[in-house]
Amino acid sequence: MADSAEEIEKHKKLYALIGWTLGGCTMLTLLLGIWAPLDVGPPGPTPGDYVIGLGLAGFKASLVALIFMHLNHERGLIYKTLVFTVLFFISLMGLTLFNESDPIVEQFDTHKTVEGELLEPIQHPTFEDVDAKAH
Amino acid sequence: MEIPYEVTPRRDTGLFNAKLGIWLFLASEVMLFGGLFSSYVFLRVGVDDGLDNPWPWGLNVQNEWLGFINTLVLIFSSVLVVFAWLAIKERNFRKYQILMYLVVGCAAVFMVIKGFEYKGKLTHHFGVKLNDNTVLEGELYNHGTNRIIFSGEKATFALQGGLPGFLKDLRGETPTFAVEGTDEKLKGADEVKSWFLKKRREYTQALVEERKRYRAEKAAQENWNGKGEAPPKPTTVGDGMKARNIASSATLVAEKPFEIHGHARSVVMHNDSSLSYKDGGIVNGKLVDDVIKFVPHQVDMQLVLPQNQRDSMAWKLDGMDYVKKQYFEQQKESYDELIDHYKDKPIPEKMLRGHILNFHEVHMHHDDHGDDHASTHEYTSEPTAPAAGKGEGKAGVDYVAIPRDQIKFMGFHGPRYNTYFAIYFTMTALHGLHVVGGALVLLFFTIFGKKLYQKNPEHLANRVEVGGLFWHFVDLVWIFLFPLMYLL
Repeated sequence: MADSAEEIEKHKKLYALIGWTLGGCTMLTLLLGIWAPLDVGPPGPTPGDYVIGLGLAGFKASLVALIFMHLNHERGLIYKTLVFTVLFFISLMGLTLFNESDPIVEQFDTHKTVEGELLEPIQHPTFEDVDAKAH
Repeated sequence: MEIPYEVTPRRDTGLFNAKLGIWLFLASEVMLFGGLFSSYVFLRVGVDDGLDNPWPWGLNVQNEWLGFINTLVLIFSSVLVVFAWLAIKERNFRKYQILMYLVVGCAAVFMVIKGFEYKGKLTHHFGVKLNDNTVLEGELYNHGTNRIIFSGEKATFALQGGLPGFLKDLRGETPTFAVEGTDEKLKGADEVKSWFLKKRREYTQALVEERKRYRAEKAAQENWNGKGEAPPKPTTVGDGMKARNIASSATLVAEKPFEIHGHARSVVMHNDSSLSYKDGGIVNGKLVDDVIKFVPHQVDMQLVLPQNQRDSMAWKLDGMDYVKKQYFEQQKESYDELIDHYKDKPIPEKMLRGHILNFHEVHMHHDDHGDDHASTHEYTSEPTAPAAGKGEGKAGVDYVAIPRDQIKFMGFHGPRYNTYFAIYFTMTALHGLHVVGGALVLLFFTIFGKKLYQKNPEHLANRVEVGGLFWHFVDLVWIFLFPLMYLL
């Protein structure tokens, strides 16, 4: 812990570095969202975007937890407590896997229209059509 | 009494008590927010884009820059908290106080920005879902002309409570009203108001007298000792009022039709011949115009089958031809992007049905007209075509007028608008409460920490460490909320 002047100075440098890193990562997260050249995969929020966006958020959260919350050098009892927290969190997130075995979805093919026909590929209007209607 | 292990750690745990306490609390907080994040995931993956309740892309419905600034503000405050803690370790109380005030200032900035965001969503951004599931996103024209235009002939209202709702909605010249059942004539709205207040006073006074009489008669009956003539059964207050010929309501008949602009919030029900107000008042007459004047910024066709999009109800609204052109042009661009991305591979069905092709920003104004501002356009009681905007030619229309009967659902971007906004408000509001709570605790340590600091600086350092742990947790939750709600 920060008890000597030397250690305090060391901590200050580390906290400032982490602060800048967090700010930079936030900027990167924003750019990944709004700047097309950095967008992975097709346009719009795709699973790849979720992985990258939440991966970056996870990295930032780890820095906050490890450095600012001192989890990088904490007492054993705190880690033991957090093991249960992590297990609960994983269980809560694991619940979402039930989406994959949802009996309601299995009963209905959601890619069919109400009439039961499979959706046809999108028919693009010709722009002559649209212009003709507009004028 | 000295509370043990506030400063020095316990031998068995190796921690001072407050630290163990805050970590147990944070563990429960992780479960609380974990449950909400889990709900978010359920809602998000449970929607099959375009086939049921479409999930909006955060970038389309949020101001990502405000979210970004708020993230930086919280990160900065987290850094300040650890520096404040170090300031106590350095035995520099003044520096500690300044840093902590800055932390509280950051919390205030965060909440003010959040307040602006909420205000925008709850009072500005508006969505209209047409009967064929086309959704128009935008704003109400002229800050909300969501009015029902009605030509009234007769108004019935209670002589109690506040002024009758219809009086507030009167527009144009107020005709002379005849009070039904009497010879009284009332000229203009002011005379109606003063007549109402007089009648209400009379009614209230009579009611007080009747209640007093009833209590006296009831007491006489209860206190009768069985001797002499039995007191009569008390007459009820209602019967007493009837006997005195005091009416609880009145009807005004207009000599010529009067104009009403009924506000959707005060009108509970309406049809072609009547308008019912929340206060119980009813206006009889003729419905003139019942349209929502709306400035669309985005068209969302996720719920409309591709083959039906060209016949959407939206395009039949006056002034939307120009928007239609833009919409399909943008759709073509998006489609080309998808083809470009997938090259020879087939484009997944979900991408075709999702928002990429079916959600576009549009502009009502044509540049040729050089008019980029919505101008004031007052209604008259003259019957108008249901879909008439401000006539400057098709491309120069300021708004679209959507007949109310073509609307399936409409509302501001509040929690009931869709599941996205429901979970957005739930999570961000709960997070906001944590920000306020944490800031208050830190402010307390800042203002009242001097005495403790002088007594034992390590004790204050421990308190700030514990408060700081909570603050970092609040920051940590926001780190996940920002990309999830604003960017993805």
